[in-house]
Amino acid sequence: MTVLQPNLVDEVRADESFNASACMNCGVCTAICPMELEHLPREIFRYVLLGMKEELLQHQETVFSCLLCKMCEVNCPAGVHITENVRSLRHYFDRKVFRI
Amino acid sequence: MSERKIGVYVCHCGGNISDYVDVEKVIDAVKGEEDVVVARTAMFTCSDATQQEIYDDIQQMGLDGLVVASCSPKLHTFTFRGVAKRAGLNPFRYTQVNVREQCSWAHTDDRLGATEKAIRLVRAGVARTRLLAPLEPTVVETVPKTLVIGAGIAGLRAAIGLSDIGLSVVVVEREAAVGGWVKEFGPLFPHEKEGRALIAQLEAEVRRRENIALFTQAEVVKKAGSFGNYVVDIRTHGKSSMTMQMEVGSIIVATGFDSYQPEEGEYGYGIDGVVTLPEYKKMLDEATGPLVYRGRPVKDVAYIYCVGSRQGEAGPHQYCSRFCCSAAVHSALELHGKDPSAHQYHLYRDMRTYGRYELMYQESREKGSLYLKFPESEPPAVQKGSDGRLLVTVRDQLTSQKEMQIPADLVVLVTGMVPRENDDLVKALKLPVGRDGFFNEIHPKLRPVETVVDGVAICGACQFPKTASESVASGLAAVTQSAAMLKQGRAELDPQVATADPELCTDCGTCYTTCPYDAISPMELPGGRRVASIAPATCKGCGGCAPLCPEHAIDLQGYTSAQILAMIDGLAREVV
Repeated sequence: MTVLQPNLVDEVRADESFNASACMNCGVCTAICPMELEHLPREIFRYVLLGMKEELLQHQETVFSCLLCKMCEVNCPAGVHITENVRSLRHYFDRKVFRI
Repeated sequence: MSERKIGVYVCHCGGNISDYVDVEKVIDAVKGEEDVVVARTAMFTCSDATQQEIYDDIQQMGLDGLVVASCSPKLHTFTFRGVAKRAGLNPFRYTQVNVREQCSWAHTDDRLGATEKAIRLVRAGVARTRLLAPLEPTVVETVPKTLVIGAGIAGLRAAIGLSDIGLSVVVVEREAAVGGWVKEFGPLFPHEKEGRALIAQLEAEVRRRENIALFTQAEVVKKAGSFGNYVVDIRTHGKSSMTMQMEVGSIIVATGFDSYQPEEGEYGYGIDGVVTLPEYKKMLDEATGPLVYRGRPVKDVAYIYCVGSRQGEAGPHQYCSRFCCSAAVHSALELHGKDPSAHQYHLYRDMRTYGRYELMYQESREKGSLYLKFPESEPPAVQKGSDGRLLVTVRDQLTSQKEMQIPADLVVLVTGMVPRENDDLVKALKLPVGRDGFFNEIHPKLRPVETVVDGVAICGACQFPKTASESVASGLAAVTQSAAMLKQGRAELDPQVATADPELCTDCGTCYTTCPYDAISPMELPGGRRVASIAPATCKGCGGCAPLCPEHAIDLQGYTSAQILAMIDGLAREVV
């Protein structure tokens, strides 16, 4: 069972602008994704917000598979800057996992 | 039988009726009825032109009975009573026959059958009208004084509203202090005004007014009389216990609510650090900065919603308590303001921050509040962690049903409102109580503060869970309702009530105990014989007593046994 670590979002935000708090979990982004990425972006963002670090690190593949096509972003009813957030997460992986 | 002159008007209702009922055939069938002197159809009977036509017929032909066959009596009884009255015909010698809702609309597939039914219904109407006697409304003088029960925010504001309009007010409060729940509260949504300050202001105003009498530690123990002239007994419990009797014209009930008290162990209630919403609100209002609970800083807060609400099979509270989502989110915003670094987790079933409170929900998310949706079948569990903190286990439906654990310093059970125990008052006032235990209005939208007891209005959270501002709004609605009835100084009551024939009555007593309004009591005749007497202002004309009387001494005016039997004959007769 995952124990939530509330500081994860601060860790991500340390160098990046990550903001998904307007998300109301409608799921349009997941439904509309041309890559049919099951876990992106809504759920990955939730890992960050809730502090599920292990799950986030497990989905490195998904974060880097995104085309950044912005299909989800233009259709997001809450106006979340999804592609910006994905870029932030990639940068987070670069720093944390690849140490670059 | 004396000869009567009855006019019958059958409505097309544009086509609502005439598309399915052959209205001309109906006219032909009733034209020859005994005592019918005029029978016409009209495109819209309720139109000004047709009302004028009926008026002219009454005046020129000297009609002494009127039958209108159109829509439900709910819609136009008062329209046609008005026509009759203006033309000089006693308004209670008119019968409304419903050939729309109960005929044309119900039988759109059977034109022949609908027409036959309409003929029978109109004949029954004519038969009743033939036997209708003129009636005069019961006029009662009203006392320009209102009793307000409960001095919470709704009751206090209602008292001031009544006083503004120029009515005397008596406020009765059970507790020693006025202000109810709201006197304890700091900032309230949506205006962020302090509850304590609002109550202090209202109390000062109430005490300043000469036409408001405030009794604390007092209860209403008895109510007698009828609308406009209620006699109430008020018992005080303070230093000197005494019972006062006073006359009031109307009553406003604002007895408020109780907060749901979780059972020991329910969502961990009883474990140190698990608190209810009112307990939490008090802590928040007292805190000047980051929250501290029993000497320990509160950094992580978990809220569990719907505690004591929407219980399903598990408990008596089936309803959604409405206010609690918004109240919890508002409290979360209060904490975000006092401690921006605190983490807040909201575990909910459904978020209902209705109307503009949605903006608070949005603001709380932007400030970092996190929302997790748990399944109804698998509510969160609260336990004490090994480090002394609390551990909340929850399955989040928004994250692939993953089960997770939230370490928390404080768990807030978002408890709803439950009806307050008021059995004695319910008995004294004969208040209608709904299945949920709250008091019932006549109609939630059309008559939202009136009860079935004339002159007794309800407002605030004794009716259903409300926010403070909604309670005040309903309090003012009750003020308007009461004032509209009392400011005229007199009220006309429906004369279609029960009467008992003293010749036939044998004082058997069956009706005394049957009347739900206590309108029937024994009366002594000059010769010493005891018979039943029915108070016309108290009787609601429900007819419950009439069929029980073994001597057939009781008749309902406007619906006498003779009239009903004549109607049955009219309905049962062959159409052709």
